[in-house]
Amino acid sequence: MSGGSDQAPLSPRADLYVAAVLLALGLGVMALAWRMPTFVEQSGTGLTAPGIVPGFHATVVAVLAVLLGLRAIRQGALKAGTQRAGGGGGADAWRLAIAATLGVLYAGVLVGRLPFWLATALFVFSFTAAFEWSVGPARRVRRLAEAALLGLATGGIVTLVFERIFLVRLP
Amino acid sequence: MNNPITMLGDGFAHVLQGGAVFHAFWAVLIGIVVGALPGLTATMGVALLTTLTFTMGPNVAMLVLVCVYVGAIYGGSRSAILLNIPGTPASAASTLDGFPLAKQGLAGRAMGISTLGSWCGTLFGTLILAMFAPSFGEFALQFGSYEMFWVALFGIVIAGSLSGGDPLKGYIAGFLGLLVATVGQETNHAYARFAFGNADLAGGLGLLPVLVGVFGVAEVLNAMRGPAVKAVSSKIDSVIPRIRDVTQYWRTIFRSGALGTFIGAMPGLGEDIAAWTSYAAAKRASKEKELFGKGSVEGLMAAETGESACVPGAIIPVLTLAVPGSAPAAVLMAAMMIHGLNPGPMLAITAPEFIYQIVAMLVIADMVKLLYGLVLVKPLLWVLLIPRARLMPVVFVLCTVGAFAITSRLFDIWVMLGAGLVGFILRELRFPMAPLVLGIVLGDLLDKNLLRGLVLTGGDVSPFFTRPISMALCALTLLAVAWAIPGFVPRVMGLIRRRAAA
Repeated sequence: MSGGSDQAPLSPRADLYVAAVLLALGLGVMALAWRMPTFVEQSGTGLTAPGIVPGFHATVVAVLAVLLGLRAIRQGALKAGTQRAGGGGGADAWRLAIAATLGVLYAGVLVGRLPFWLATALFVFSFTAAFEWSVGPARRVRRLAEAALLGLATGGIVTLVFERIFLVRLP
Repeated sequence: MNNPITMLGDGFAHVLQGGAVFHAFWAVLIGIVVGALPGLTATMGVALLTTLTFTMGPNVAMLVLVCVYVGAIYGGSRSAILLNIPGTPASAASTLDGFPLAKQGLAGRAMGISTLGSWCGTLFGTLILAMFAPSFGEFALQFGSYEMFWVALFGIVIAGSLSGGDPLKGYIAGFLGLLVATVGQETNHAYARFAFGNADLAGGLGLLPVLVGVFGVAEVLNAMRGPAVKAVSSKIDSVIPRIRDVTQYWRTIFRSGALGTFIGAMPGLGEDIAAWTSYAAAKRASKEKELFGKGSVEGLMAAETGESACVPGAIIPVLTLAVPGSAPAAVLMAAMMIHGLNPGPMLAITAPEFIYQIVAMLVIADMVKLLYGLVLVKPLLWVLLIPRARLMPVVFVLCTVGAFAITSRLFDIWVMLGAGLVGFILRELRFPMAPLVLGIVLGDLLDKNLLRGLVLTGGDVSPFFTRPISMALCALTLLAVAWAIPGFVPRVMGLIRRRAAA
């Protein structure tokens, strides 16, 4: 399974923030688990209470978050001048934002409201056009035409293969 | 009927009926292409193809998914050799010697070695599966709720400790996965946990939408952010493997096959760990250590054999314990459940023939893979050149279809998006994905068995620690945690040495 060992480690301060969020999550889930009904009258013992297992998991997450936080502090998270490691450049962030926005627009908004093939064609066209726009003005019209063709082909082929050949229902 | 040879023969006969060879050919091809394309992983391939198998019979569906799994793990080596970019995380070790060989003008030879190593690895692992899975399945029948609880917990801990990176973050990821699995109605009182009055949440978060999100959407985001893939070497020498490579490195093949299968059988570790471990073991034992990292045939052979032997290895705990050995095996297990095949200890009683059918499927997939490895060189070069701006939106569309298709709920698409974004953020924060996925998959197993065990004993927790197998599993789990504590092993070794000296 894929690890994450090929990346540089996160800065201690970032780890401290992550630990704080995880601790809040763990404590929040513990509180929710505590408030769940115990069903003592049905089970007689309360040992089948729905809150036991999530409560156990949340407790472990909270404890591990404390350990992560303590380790970050020991590594100098509270000292001035600890820099955040990694982090992409501006261009990377832009590309990521474009990909995420288009993905959410397609899957969250267009799918279910437009016919699937049309939503897919629009998404594939916009995605390809957006990322190939920066290649330069040379042959841009041709690239846009190819993106439109790719969009229509994807919409058509996916609909045909999934709905007609494999009888899978599409949104 | 209970003769293993007869059952294996029946397994082949059963699998080979109904156009199986046709399905094997297209599924292995899709697997190789998915594996070869950087950004598309074997897990994603198996998850997406699960959608296509909904209307197929269980046997054909399993054959297709096994073929995709086998093909994708092998396919990753193509981009590792030609682009110096592992197509799947499993192929990362193959870049060390595969790419230097390609740079020396020996790309064809490297691909031949990769094909041969991968073929031998899968065959070796399949042989081990055929020999040990049935008897281990019978042994697993002794596992009660207490033992299954420890198996699930051991899986999370070992995945957290060894899946690469920071063990502490690995444990957190595993328990976050377990928490995700608790959303929705529980089995004892049908109480909807964390549903907040929402009917969709009460139904729980679907395994497939979450996995497609974590491995599909997160991969698309990751691929679109990074730098573009460099051009591929287009000069390819002969890809026909040399018999001398097998005769010269037969020890490496056996060692890597055994290591790969063993690591595959450990819950949650997977192909990348198998490849790295096999590579490291080969380097330690090699007479040509100095060649490693500069284009060593033995190094490439070890990595490829190890990762491919891991595939059947990872299926062993799926069939015998219902615990996946790797991320793609987790999706394969989910697909088995979708198709009404209930993997786990009872399989040895209810459908012992299924184990041999899986063996037959693995052998068929391995043979088809060998064929493609020899003939499919130029077309794969062309596939590797597809710009990601054109490939990734198509992958995203397939993710959306895959998430929706299982229950036809738009809610599942939102689950996929949420899982994708959370998975991406967790990766950025250096949390390994393997324990997270294992937590999501094993959550139900742990939940049911912990509560069942407590009910059976009336609240007494001692059987969790005193029954022999439970005790052994508990000790292994604690050992795995202790192993991950920095400085623990040297201190213990020092203590032992001092005692011995005294």
